[in-house]
Amino acid sequence: MRQTGNIVVTENLRKYFPIRGGIVTRTRREVKAVDGVSLKIRTGETYGLVGESGCGKTTIGKTIIRLLKPNGGKIFFDAKGELPDAPSQCVMTQNNITDAKGGRLKALRRNMQIVYQNPSTSLNPRMLVKDLVAEPLIVHKICRGQEVEKRVLEMLESVGLSSEHLYRYPHEFSGGQRQRIAVARALITHPKFIVLDEPTSAVDVSVRASLLQLFKELQQTMGLTYMFISHDLAVIEALCDTVGVMYLGKLVENADSKALFENPLHPYTQALFSAIPIPDPTTRRRRILLKGDPPSPANPPKGCRFHPRCKYAMEVCTLKEPEPHEVKPNHFVACHLY
Amino acid sequence: MKEDLEETLLENEQLKVEDLTVRFYTYEGIVKAVEKAKLSLRKGETLGVVGETGSGKSVTALTIIALTPTPGKVEGGNIYFRRGAGEVVDILALKEAALLKIRGKEISMIFQEPNAALDPLYRVEEQVAEAILAHRRAEMMQKVEALKPKALTNRSSLRYRLPVFKRFSQQKLLRRVVREEILSLLRTMEIPDPERVVDAYPHELSGGMQQRIVIAIALACSPVLLLADEPTTNLDVTVQAQILDLILRLKKAFGSSVIYITHDMGVIAEISERVAVMYAGSVVEVAPVVEIFKKPLHPYTQALLESIPRPGSPFKPLPGTVPSLVNPPSGCRFHPRCPFAMEKCKLEPPNLVEVSPEHQVACYLHTAGE
Amino acid sequence: MTHTVVNIKFWDKQSPRMKELRFILKRMKSSPLSIVGLAIVVFFTLVALLAPVLAPPQPNRNPYMIPRYGYSPTPKPPNPVNLFGTTEGQYDLYYGMIWGTRAAYQIGVLVVAISALIGIIVGGLAGYYKGVFGEVLMRVTDIVLAFPGLILAMAFVVAFGPGLNSITVALILVWWPSYARLVRGEFLRVTAEDFVEAAKAIGCSDLRVMVKHVFPNTIFPLVIMASLDIGSVVLTAAALSFLGLGAPEGYADWGQLISLSRNYITGAPGNPFAYWFAYVIPGIFLFLFVLGWNLLGDAFRDILDPMIRRR
Repeated sequence: MRQTGNIVVTENLRKYFPIRGGIVTRTRREVKAVDGVSLKIRTGETYGLVGESGCGKTTIGKTIIRLLKPNGGKIFFDAKGELPDAPSQCVMTQNNITDAKGGRLKALRRNMQIVYQNPSTSLNPRMLVKDLVAEPLIVHKICRGQEVEKRVLEMLESVGLSSEHLYRYPHEFSGGQRQRIAVARALITHPKFIVLDEPTSAVDVSVRASLLQLFKELQQTMGLTYMFISHDLAVIEALCDTVGVMYLGKLVENADSKALFENPLHPYTQALFSAIPIPDPTTRRRRILLKGDPPSPANPPKGCRFHPRCKYAMEVCTLKEPEPHEVKPNHFVACHLY
Repeated sequence: MKEDLEETLLENEQLKVEDLTVRFYTYEGIVKAVEKAKLSLRKGETLGVVGETGSGKSVTALTIIALTPTPGKVEGGNIYFRRGAGEVVDILALKEAALLKIRGKEISMIFQEPNAALDPLYRVEEQVAEAILAHRRAEMMQKVEALKPKALTNRSSLRYRLPVFKRFSQQKLLRRVVREEILSLLRTMEIPDPERVVDAYPHELSGGMQQRIVIAIALACSPVLLLADEPTTNLDVTVQAQILDLILRLKKAFGSSVIYITHDMGVIAEISERVAVMYAGSVVEVAPVVEIFKKPLHPYTQALLESIPRPGSPFKPLPGTVPSLVNPPSGCRFHPRCPFAMEKCKLEPPNLVEVSPEHQVACYLHTAGE
Repeated sequence: MTHTVVNIKFWDKQSPRMKELRFILKRMKSSPLSIVGLAIVVFFTLVALLAPVLAPPQPNRNPYMIPRYGYSPTPKPPNPVNLFGTTEGQYDLYYGMIWGTRAAYQIGVLVVAISALIGIIVGGLAGYYKGVFGEVLMRVTDIVLAFPGLILAMAFVVAFGPGLNSITVALILVWWPSYARLVRGEFLRVTAEDFVEAAKAIGCSDLRVMVKHVFPNTIFPLVIMASLDIGSVVLTAAALSFLGLGAPEGYADWGQLISLSRNYITGAPGNPFAYWFAYVIPGIFLFLFVLGWNLLGDAFRDILDPMIRRR
């Protein structure tokens, strides 16, 4: 059951990474990883973000939870999940976390968490599982001593592990189990919003389904909102309610999952969907092969960033960047074709 | 001896792996990575090998070109390979000198990480040239000879006769000849702007481009067998589509057979003609690609296909975890996770048996326990 | 969901660490040189610990001052009273060797520990915070490192005045840059890892991340460097003592004792090795001590490296 409010709203979010020429020279160029993205995530839903490498999806996930400091734009977050749709209506002081720092930033960490892609590198190899999962409790001074162990055990059990796993090192576990440990760590403070950064890409196919099932269960029992970043469209289609497509730092299409998969409007989305191999040898898909390689985010093409590879490119595409409009109810596309 | 080997392969068979067993001797114990694996490949065919972590697929592929990583040891089995000229050899019985003639020339391998396969210190031209000169040097030298001005009256022909200059001038000509060859090879790989790519260093190229270079190196000597170990797993989806397309077209152009290893069922459906499914070190099912998807017989294959997420339907995960290969389950290694496990399954591992034309399964459900 | 808190036995809690220890010991057993190194180090450690027992000091005297058996300048060869003989000035060599081991350990451990501490702080901050701050720290480090070690140490000792404490301080000042460099490199590597970012995402303060997450993953190279350095430090301290910049005459210090044998290296006319014991015995002790620690350090390097790779 979804509430009507949003939990995260961004307005024109920007995050750039400088390319330094050396210690003394000023930064000449910047990688515009996220360049003006405005999205909203409804409370309780699973928002999917797709795109290829270099499109900025991981960066935007980390920026929304303020692991990175944005270079421009605004982020609004409300743990109660009652933000209105329009950024201009969001209460400025209370929910604007764009510049949060110090104690306020730390308090945010209790409510926004992230699960990384690679469970082998996201868990400190020299820490026991118990310490790994207990750390958020200790850092935020939530409880002490026996209570800590009790809560850690509870959390491990809800992700499908048990007490015999407490006093072991991460490398003694399989990829799927490690990812569960990472999930336990993320959820132990009962946050409201979780960014899942390609959590199933580094695990085996057979384990994927059990992790996805876990995510779904936890969402219901703990009332979580997910931002699910992935390049695996099958998973996105199965799990997510709303989906956004990113290309080179911009959100090119945003719609309800079903609507998007039935009728992708943006040429890039169409090409992306057609490129996914279908596990069915009898269907011969009419594949749209894109020309060339994805361009570098340090030097995006002028105008619409997709125009060099787009087969419908028109003159206006080389000059002006398209703005997202609502082409169909709740279906936004940034393309001059519409 | 040679005549005996001739009989091991059928007329149209390119490769046959028989009862391959590979064990790794590590501190934690003996890892029984591959246990009596059986594979066979026909000429010009694309065999897709599906398997997850611990299935032994990569170790098997590496063993086919006798590059089993240490501390692995091949403890049994044969790998019969039909060379380009027609003779049949047992890879595991060959000495290193003979293997050097096969690797790169008759059997090539491409790996998952293109930037790890290319040396960052050398430009593309030098790396592809290395592959060409390793096996086609004589051919290149012939071309050099053809280019040298012969007539004594031609002043520049002097360069090729004087003792010291001869060497350098020949090298320059060789370089030019090889470069031409490389450029034409890169064009076949559909690399745009080959002139620029040839002089570039690997890190200046994108992942997709790097993988194309790797494929170019692999195909430089027109091998009869190409081993591909998850070459597109690390690439973007759109780039993966391009590379898969390329591999399919090149396969026809070069006439090679391909063994394509992956864990992605979608890629398998696209690229394979026949599919072999591996689990915990053995091959559990082999069938033409349509059969594998429409009528999977082995419980593992069935569970694998079911676990692919589908919108609207609940997730159907596979229970249990991949078994430890140090202490694998007795008998059929899948039995602890198999919903149809019988007593028989715990005793002896089932053999891979043909239960219908072209379709082999290693499971007591379908074979009468041999 | 409710459940009872399971009482996990103490030893089960230790089991992963026990497994690691057992692994290290097993790897050590497989290399003969490691065992030799370990044996030598254990031997010297025992000697240092049991010094008061093996060579009882004279009452009311600084135990490090070697008892004299006369004042004659000529060294006496080993005899029942002086097991290793005496050196110039009749200082008992046996006593000097035993207490010299303690002195060696003192200098070695103190210098290495404090240099490492300084190096960890400087290198750690430079590696974690990077930027201009990190670069400045590293340039300071480079400047100190640019001076030839022995000469710089001598300069410091001359400035502070001779004595063992001066040597200790001088060596610390010369030795910390290499630790700073090592630690900075390691910190750079580890801070780039995902789990450090994950720790920040949980809300850990910078200090906590550095101490609890980054540092424990950098100790292996540190341990290797430290064990190799103990030998080098003792050797350098002995060199400084030999030059007369270190301990006062009569102090139980191997370098000092070799220095005392200076006039007798050429021996007596007709017998060049007449006084071999005066320099060979301290020399052997010094050599074995350094060898033992070097072998141990190498053993650590061999063992700990694959352990890191396995993870």
